[in-house]
Amino acid sequence: MQTLETIIRGAGIHKRYVMGKDNYVDALQDASVEIEKGQMVAVMGPSGSGKSTLVHILGCLDSVNSGEVWLDGRRVDKLSRRDLAQLRRTEVGFIFQTFNLVPSFTALENVMLAAEYAGKSRREARELARTALAQVGLADREDHKPTELSGGQQQRVAIARALVNSPKVIFGDEPTGNLDSASSTEIVDMMHRINRDTGTTFVLVTHDPDVAATCDRVFHMLDGRVANGNGRHAEDGRAD
Amino acid sequence: MRILRNVFRRKLRVLLTIFGITIGVLALVVMGSMAEKINMLVSGGTRYYSDKVTVAAEGSSMFSTGPLSIGKYDAIKAVPGVAEVSAGIATLLETDTSVSFGIPATIQGSDLRGQELESFKVTYSDGRALRADDSGSVVVGSDLVGKLDAQVGGFVSVRGERFQVVGILDKTLTGPDTSVWMTLADAQRLFVQDLPEVIRSQVDKNDLVTSFVVYPTEGTDPEQLALDVNKAVPGVKATGPKAFQDQIASATKIFSAILYGIAIIALFVGGLSVINTMTMSVNERTREIGVRKAIGASDGQIVRQFLGEAGIIGLIGGVSGLVLGWIAVVVANKLLESSDLNLFLVTPRLAIGSVVFALILGLVSGLYPSLHAARLEPVVALRYE
Repeated sequence: MQTLETIIRGAGIHKRYVMGKDNYVDALQDASVEIEKGQMVAVMGPSGSGKSTLVHILGCLDSVNSGEVWLDGRRVDKLSRRDLAQLRRTEVGFIFQTFNLVPSFTALENVMLAAEYAGKSRREARELARTALAQVGLADREDHKPTELSGGQQQRVAIARALVNSPKVIFGDEPTGNLDSASSTEIVDMMHRINRDTGTTFVLVTHDPDVAATCDRVFHMLDGRVANGNGRHAEDGRAD
Repeated sequence: MRILRNVFRRKLRVLLTIFGITIGVLALVVMGSMAEKINMLVSGGTRYYSDKVTVAAEGSSMFSTGPLSIGKYDAIKAVPGVAEVSAGIATLLETDTSVSFGIPATIQGSDLRGQELESFKVTYSDGRALRADDSGSVVVGSDLVGKLDAQVGGFVSVRGERFQVVGILDKTLTGPDTSVWMTLADAQRLFVQDLPEVIRSQVDKNDLVTSFVVYPTEGTDPEQLALDVNKAVPGVKATGPKAFQDQIASATKIFSAILYGIAIIALFVGGLSVINTMTMSVNERTREIGVRKAIGASDGQIVRQFLGEAGIIGLIGGVSGLVLGWIAVVVANKLLESSDLNLFLVTPRLAIGSVVFALILGLVSGLYPSLHAARLEPVVALRYE
């Protein structure tokens, strides 16, 4: 298998959450990982191993205490709040375990929101949102509020929202964790299809070995480290 | 319309907050309309008195005038700098109005001299101006049309006498609105009729006036002319424009300030409730803010969203307060019409000002909660339960 271009690289990442004086958690300790463009990768590990923290940091939602984060050839761990917001709206998409749709908005408006934050006009955003909803098979549900949709449908709206600005990477923080197995399979299949059709890289935190088994690679985390972060590559550098 | 759906997600709470602003703006409109009415009266008065001298009996004040003899006419006219003098009678329209709040309706009798020198021009919505030979006729101020049931050509009853209406004034928003104008002779007759028996027998009604209006010649300072008249004519008190300013305008300024002060306090309380509502809204929606940030909202976009919602609350409260206040004012004026009171006036600047003020109040009150929302770290906000 030929070596692909690296799209995400985390090197020596430390992340400490301070809850109070003498009360802190080292969520990540010297975590390193490389993810290649166009792949669909899973991040597994026991609770508290730092999976979500890693994905949040790679997805520009959280900051690091030390270490480097590179996204598509650009170092992002030192960027300003404004630049990070810019990255979040154009370069990455997020899917959450609890869907996290805005409850008072319809499916269409939820998807439009992301496009509007990215600077699209109302009309453009509506067109893009319709296309994205069609991609996830919800063209006929665009006027439904989240409460009027099943869990699987809500997560499809969330995927459409993550997709609407054509990001390079979509991160999923246990995207099937709240779904029954049928919906779960449906969502995983949909992500695979989008991955295949658009070349969007997917990084999924999951507890489910069945989901992990469908991915191109699986990273295992333990105690804030990625056990096989550099995978097939040598420990001391990238091999070609 | 999405913003409205967000605002009204917690209906009762938002409605109560809007109601708070509404009450504040209602108070502002009602209180303000009273202050505006007074302001208009005063500015009309200031304009009227600005270029002339008024002469009343010695010992009189702005509010009560004793009778004067028309014999002073020639003495006043002879003072250097006097272009023309007009003798007049001013008396209350209704003699039983003993205590009154606001400006009572008056009868104004005038010999109509010096009209060409009068800078305070009035216009007529119907009919014509009064002439010196119009005995038995009146011109009616706009606020008294309803009360007297006046129409040009018809008759009205003034102190039990019938007068024919020859003209109706346009609204001036000041003194003339609540006056009935008649010839000096007619006014003298009504005035004397109402004097106590003892005095009535001693006075000649044709000799009696309550004031003179003195028009200075061009280039004469009315302030100086008032001093000259006082020096030259015994038994009278002449006042220039400044006296009106000193006695009325400054006193009403304090009154207006008190009225506005009360309204601003009411609004301030409304503003606090916007802060409360928006802070609660931000807390409840912390997770949503995290999601919005995760999908790319910048700090500025979050601030704009919550400021927008606070502004909407202020705006809705402002508009509904204005509508209710306006209705209250119209109803109050209607109810008070028969008792000569026209206390309230909603001016455009008051209407626009109170809505704009409510909007700004909402925005300012929403500022802290909005900035707080924007500063949340996306991950922290997402973890919030």
